Amino acid sequence: MCAYSPVVSARALTKRYGQTQAVRGIDFSIPAGECFGFLGVNGAGKTTTMKMIYCRIARTSGDLLVLGRDPARDAVAIKQRLGVVAQENDIDPELTVLENLLLYASFFGIGGAQARRRATELLDLLSLTGKERAQVKEISGGMKRRLVIARALVNDPEILVLDEPTTGLDPQARLLVWEKLGALREAGLTLLLTTHYMEEAARLCNRVAIIDEGRILALGTPFELIERFAAADVLELIDAADASALHEQLDGLVVRRERHGDTQYLFCRDSRELLRRLRDLGFDPPRHVARHATLEDVFLNLTGRELVE
Amino acid sequence: MNPVAAFFRPNAWRVFRRNLYAWQKYAWSSVAINIVEPFAYFLALGFGLGAYITFSGYGSLVQFMAPGFLGLTALNTATFDAAWGCYERRVTSGVYESMVTAPVDPMEIAAGEYLWEAFRSMLYGTLFLAVITGFGLVHSWWALCCPLVLALAGIVCAIPALLVSFVVKTQEHLFYYFSFVATPMVMISGVFFPLDKFPHWALVIAWLTPLYHAVNVFRALVMGTVGTGTLWELLWLFCAIIVLAFAPVVPVRTKLAT
Repeated sequence: MCAYSPVVSARALTKRYGQTQAVRGIDFSIPAGECFGFLGVNGAGKTTTMKMIYCRIARTSGDLLVLGRDPARDAVAIKQRLGVVAQENDIDPELTVLENLLLYASFFGIGGAQARRRATELLDLLSLTGKERAQVKEISGGMKRRLVIARALVNDPEILVLDEPTTGLDPQARLLVWEKLGALREAGLTLLLTTHYMEEAARLCNRVAIIDEGRILALGTPFELIERFAAADVLELIDAADASALHEQLDGLVVRRERHGDTQYLFCRDSRELLRRLRDLGFDPPRHVARHATLEDVFLNLTGRELVE
Repeated sequence: MNPVAAFFRPNAWRVFRRNLYAWQKYAWSSVAINIVEPFAYFLALGFGLGAYITFSGYGSLVQFMAPGFLGLTALNTATFDAAWGCYERRVTSGVYESMVTAPVDPMEIAAGEYLWEAFRSMLYGTLFLAVITGFGLVHSWWALCCPLVLALAGIVCAIPALLVSFVVKTQEHLFYYFSFVATPMVMISGVFFPLDKFPHWALVIAWLTPLYHAVNVFRALVMGTVGTGTLWELLWLFCAIIVLAFAPVVPVRTKLAT
């Protein structure tokens, strides 16, 4: 296998459950060492895609290669080299923190002192030291999530697959998980994650695929996506009169306009300058937000819907 | 993977160990529950009802029931845990889900569960054996073979219970298995009374159930009436395990394989 071959690649990948077409032909390829994210709302096909990659469900059609192997034929060999953080916390509630890690290590043929050493390292890495003997039901949601990540790393995987790693966590616990995942990425581990938090995608991912209704709508670095589908800045005008009449007089400051509910989104190079010009023209919005554009805006522009529920 | 070959895979023993880890935390209460209840039945029926009943050719009721209760203990411990426990581990706590994400084959999970039920049946059955030995109801050294037969009985009872746990839609539906299969099986297996007076068709049904054969073996071991018939009973149990092991393959693979 040559050094440039991607660790995961999909071409025209589809998945159908009965009448429901969950994934409708997606293409992507992920090189080693990258953090790649699928950003989309619930039901977009993110989890289905992840489950095909970690060999939990079979694809309906198309090509899929994980670590150079076909999940339809070599699932065991692939699983041996993957770390998986599934969407639901499937940490064993009847075992202690340490027992969870030791048991999971044993499934990969890692036992005895080696497993203990690995478990200790991982508990340290994920700031769970001292919790070895704690019952899983006694620890917080954030700790459980970090424990699932520790468990997924027990076999020293080549790819870490995370399905919504921080959904349901409070902001502080989320920050800690981001910090840990950032450290893993820096250490060179390939990360593949799904999220519906644009901040998560922007913070962690080298490249992001915006996925909606089973299709990839756009794929690129967060910066590229924002450049291409939004603009550097956004001026949100809330409850304001329609500004589109002024469009001619703004000298092309506004590159794109969207309206959702009470809010007009004016995409521009510089939101402060735009606001100044609007005021010069006698247009003074009652409320406004001037900010940098985000992946949220990209998503909004591509799908016409908002990302957060 | 072949469900019989799965018994010999290391992962089956790792699944077994998972249950051992979990069980260690409530071992004492589990032992108490699995011993006190059958023992209460045994005392009440054996010494209460038994004061009025003697079976010609078999002696007192309490003597008749003592080996029968070994079979009953195997059935109860294996059935309850394989039905309820496996349902919990598959649906509620996601234990199996995390196992198949690691390179564990679904049939290795099933085999690990059977081995676990064999252990439970052996442990609780042997404790009951100690109790009836104390009451002077054991008459042969052959009884030392009971633990091994308890293991076989545990496996043979666990397989259909695990199968049911994989096909029911809700946990409440497990009661159907208890009401329609497990409890009637106890009634026709010669646990409480000799089957000599049963009509022929009922005996045919009894012969088809694993518990009937297990109870016959326990009775032979405890009473010291071991003969070639006992070997045939054991062979029946052994073959039943091998044949039954294939029954859950489709539902287990459907739920846990890709």
